[in-house]
Amino acid sequence: MKRYLPAFTLLLLVVATLGSLAIGATHIDAFWKELFNPGHNAILWQIRFPRVIAALLVGAALAVAGLMAQGACNNALAEPSIVGTSAGASLATVIAILFGIVQVGSLGAIAFGVVGAIAATALTFKLASVRSGLSSFALIIVGIAVTATLSAIVGISTTMVTRADARSISFWNFGSLSLITTDNLLGIFITAVIGIALAYSIAPDLDRLSLGDATAFHLGVDVAKVRKLALVALSIAAGGAVSTVGTIAFLGLAAPHIARFIYGPSHRFLVIQSSIIGALLLVIADTLARTIAQPNELPIGLVTSLIGAPILIALVALRNTTWKTP
Amino acid sequence: MITINEITIEISGREIIYGYSEQIPAGSITVIVGPNGSGKSTLLAAIAGSIVPIKGTITIDDVHPALTSAMQLSKIRAMAVQNQFYSLGFTVRQVIEMAGPADEIMQALELSAIADRHVTTLSGGESARVAIAQAVAQNTPVLLLDEPLAAQDIQSRRRIIDLLQGLAEKGVTVVVVAHQEEKDLEWADKIIKDLL
Repeated sequence: MKRYLPAFTLLLLVVATLGSLAIGATHIDAFWKELFNPGHNAILWQIRFPRVIAALLVGAALAVAGLMAQGACNNALAEPSIVGTSAGASLATVIAILFGIVQVGSLGAIAFGVVGAIAATALTFKLASVRSGLSSFALIIVGIAVTATLSAIVGISTTMVTRADARSISFWNFGSLSLITTDNLLGIFITAVIGIALAYSIAPDLDRLSLGDATAFHLGVDVAKVRKLALVALSIAAGGAVSTVGTIAFLGLAAPHIARFIYGPSHRFLVIQSSIIGALLLVIADTLARTIAQPNELPIGLVTSLIGAPILIALVALRNTTWKTP
Repeated sequence: MITINEITIEISGREIIYGYSEQIPAGSITVIVGPNGSGKSTLLAAIAGSIVPIKGTITIDDVHPALTSAMQLSKIRAMAVQNQFYSLGFTVRQVIEMAGPADEIMQALELSAIADRHVTTLSGGESARVAIAQAVAQNTPVLLLDEPLAAQDIQSRRRIIDLLQGLAEKGVTVVVVAHQEEKDLEWADKIIKDLL
């Protein structure tokens, strides 16, 4: 049974993706015919297609970002919106937009997002290890504080300077895929692929890092270098996503844990399976967000939490040996 | 041969080892004994290269651990830390295979029966044996073990000691930190005490 799970999850993803393309405020006549006729139906190809592809890419990117945060910190609670990464990306993008340097979704905005993500994550790690080695407790507390500070500045900036192109505080706090266009896909595609590829390349070292810094070092891991690379992968993947669609919290926490519960802790496998589960969760969440309260659209971050949280709780209740804390 | 030459080690501003010299012969078992806080584990970590002395040098043959990359060092020495903690649910076999082939060493340390158990579910003694097995699987000329016999029952102790003696006969330099009385260390080729 277990050996069919990866294929089953992939099949679910394909079904959810097709469902997401088919379902929406406007009914698409002859959906299957239009699906094999690229560019013909404007609703399908200019509105839903970019949005669904963005959901897949952002879901996969945030899941792997969460996996990197947890792996690098050896901490089950770490994720981009807790260690400061998402807030750093938001702030750098908002500042760049308010100064008229870039527009949301452009490659320039993504570049600012990634730089902001790296800077904020590095700041969290630096502050958490000021007095001694990096402790889980310090990391999470400092991460939450850095996130709160940077998010507050984002909120104040977007409230003081009300400009549509800078997006709303709700966009930066809960995320939205509603304004995605085909032009935005290239940037999130590039950052997702780079982030995931980098994560895959360091995955075996993250397995060793889970045994503690000392044992990883004894096994030949350059601990500081691997941790830095994981944080870069985390920042590129999350920075690209957040600068384009805002902060979608919880997905980065839940997707890697769900994958770990099902498939075990090996990071090579987890990079792939977390991506698939992250993409699946976000595609389902986005379909629900834009359909269940029509004509209103629900913030995607809230729907993601509503779907992901019960799954995570159920898995913890079923099987609680995947992550042990000292 | 491990050569320790006039080393001084400070941790958090506190001097743990001062002006200490020693030679550890190759292909033998050396046991470091002493009271808590005497610097036994610190000396072992310094030989492993994870702590750098502020004065003096340590060499394994002609290699300086403090100046060697983690990857290079992992081919020269292996080490099992005290109280190895496992946070992720890898199986016993997976953990050992992170260092090298697992079958032979799992058999020697009676771990074959629990090869597919998650390491997060092991007892203290089992965890310690998995850590030892992983270090041995790394197959290096120098093997460093911090308190490998603590938390082990009599049979497991015997098994570990037999294993170490077999490795030393094959030319492996084994350095062990232990809490035993000197009279219980008949299996050691050399005993180091009075680190302070």
